[in-house]
Amino acid sequence: MYNLNKVYGEGDTKVHALQDLSITVNKGEFLLIVGSSGSGKSTLLNMIGLLDQPTSGKILIDGIETTTLSDGKISEFRNHKLGFIFQFSNLLTDLTVLENVMLPRQIQGTNGSASEDAKELLKIVGLEDQMHKRANKISGGQAQRAAIARGLVNHPTIVLADEPTGNLDSVSAQNIVQLIKSMAKKLGQTFIVVTHDRHQFGDVDRVITIKDGRAFEDEKPSKLEVPA
Amino acid sequence: MGAVLAVTIGILVIHVNFVIFQGLFDAIVRDLTDYRFGNLQITDEEDYIDKSDNYLVNWFERIPYVYAATPRLDASAAINITKFGERIEETRVSVVGVNPLRDIRASTVHETVTEGQYVFSRNSIVLGSNVAKDLGGAQVGDNVKLKIVDRYGNDKLKRFIVTGIANSPGGNGFDYSVVVHIDTLRDMMDRDGYTGSIMVKLNDPSKSTELKNLFLQTFPNDDFKAETLEEVAEAQLSGFRSGIAMINMIGYFGMMSSAFAIVTIQMMLVNGKTKEIGVMRAIGAKRKDILIVFLFQGLIIGAIGATVGTAAGLGYTIYAKETKMSFNGSLPLEVTIQWDKVIQTALTSFSLAIIASLYPSYRATKLLPVEAMRTV
Repeated sequence: MYNLNKVYGEGDTKVHALQDLSITVNKGEFLLIVGSSGSGKSTLLNMIGLLDQPTSGKILIDGIETTTLSDGKISEFRNHKLGFIFQFSNLLTDLTVLENVMLPRQIQGTNGSASEDAKELLKIVGLEDQMHKRANKISGGQAQRAAIARGLVNHPTIVLADEPTGNLDSVSAQNIVQLIKSMAKKLGQTFIVVTHDRHQFGDVDRVITIKDGRAFEDEKPSKLEVPA
Repeated sequence: MGAVLAVTIGILVIHVNFVIFQGLFDAIVRDLTDYRFGNLQITDEEDYIDKSDNYLVNWFERIPYVYAATPRLDASAAINITKFGERIEETRVSVVGVNPLRDIRASTVHETVTEGQYVFSRNSIVLGSNVAKDLGGAQVGDNVKLKIVDRYGNDKLKRFIVTGIANSPGGNGFDYSVVVHIDTLRDMMDRDGYTGSIMVKLNDPSKSTELKNLFLQTFPNDDFKAETLEEVAEAQLSGFRSGIAMINMIGYFGMMSSAFAIVTIQMMLVNGKTKEIGVMRAIGAKRKDILIVFLFQGLIIGAIGATVGTAAGLGYTIYAKETKMSFNGSLPLEVTIQWDKVIQTALTSFSLAIIASLYPSYRATKLLPVEAMRTV
């Protein structure tokens, strides 16, 4: 990301959600983005996830400048290169757990191995015996596990997780953190995780703190201090 | 479910309307054909047909698609009834003269005789049920006297024995007339050999115009007037036709209402699924994918609604047909299944369901994923 700016509103109501933000994320890196509520961390994640357009600046993923892509290309890009884990699992309740996990691949049109890949991932996240249940028939923690599987099923370049434990009790939250970290390690997957609780994730590759739309780089979490 | 119900009800309303109003129209046409005019009616341009009725009837009955033909003669008369030597009532009636042997083939008026039997001799008379009522409750076996003014202005009186009472459901028969033997009426009118009309019944009613043209070409110099049922009963049928057209319009407006219901329900569905749409978009669904999902939904709604509605409509139609549906003992509806109309209605509602899904589908595609996912 280079000189990323996001401005909401005009005139007196103008709000700079992101200001001249430049970050480079390396392949296979586990990056934690922390910050208080309203700091701009979710806005940043939405920009990286191409769910929102920056007012100015550039975002390059796999060498592709994404801010100039058409709506159709952006959808395609999200589908092929990005995986999403939301605060709420956001599973489609009309579908089974397996169907939810397969969904990104079905949108891609690569149905062939989708079922096998989805089942494999569900096995890894411990939902092997829940895969044929409706998404609204499983617990919050299980739903979030399924969401992690869905985020990984399309072999994305980056997985973006927005407060993935924000809606869970502490035990479930810890389990999800462990699962995400183990998956990242196992798959060598690039993860960008937004959280307000940096300590929950323990030791990660890098931590960036967002405050008032600006990024504060970049120390090992054990050494990093929360900006005043 | 609601949208499917809207389509189903829309179609059902059209079918019910069609069964009732088209059935009523066809029943009137049927009765006018069977009782009064046949599929083709021959009269004289001036007054009476003076050519032999036997000759004309035989001419018609030689044609393969003619089922039967019969002569009729009409007049008006005063009628009174005498019981125990005392005249009870007198009223004026229209008199229909029939050839009993031919009439029972070309017409079904004889089937409306609910008491006694049809005209069978020169002095028998069948009273319409309303005439019998006007005569103070005349019954089979009573004596009645007809007074007719003949062609020279003289009163002709004749006594008859009531052999039957005619009562047609719906009242399109001879409920307000009396029926006598045509030769008796000719005698009374002093019009021996004259005929008022020839009623021709066809095996194939669609050939009535062809037969009319053939007849007029065959007898170009006899001042005959040949009219199909549509022509002879134009006044009676045209008003009804407009009514049916209007009812059909109301039916189609009903279908339009169903379409609006689908728009509303689909919009509610889009609103209810906003978050899911956002998630779908976030994980890579394109606008056209969302469009297809909702259009497909419209297609399913249309297909199920059209199928269920058509099945329900056909069920109602078949029920009405099999039970010879009528209202309060009125004339039984003439119910036919017109497959072209059935298919047209089903296809129209199916298409409307898809068209009605267009706008909600378009709205769904316009949702921004990040905003849509914020929806609770």
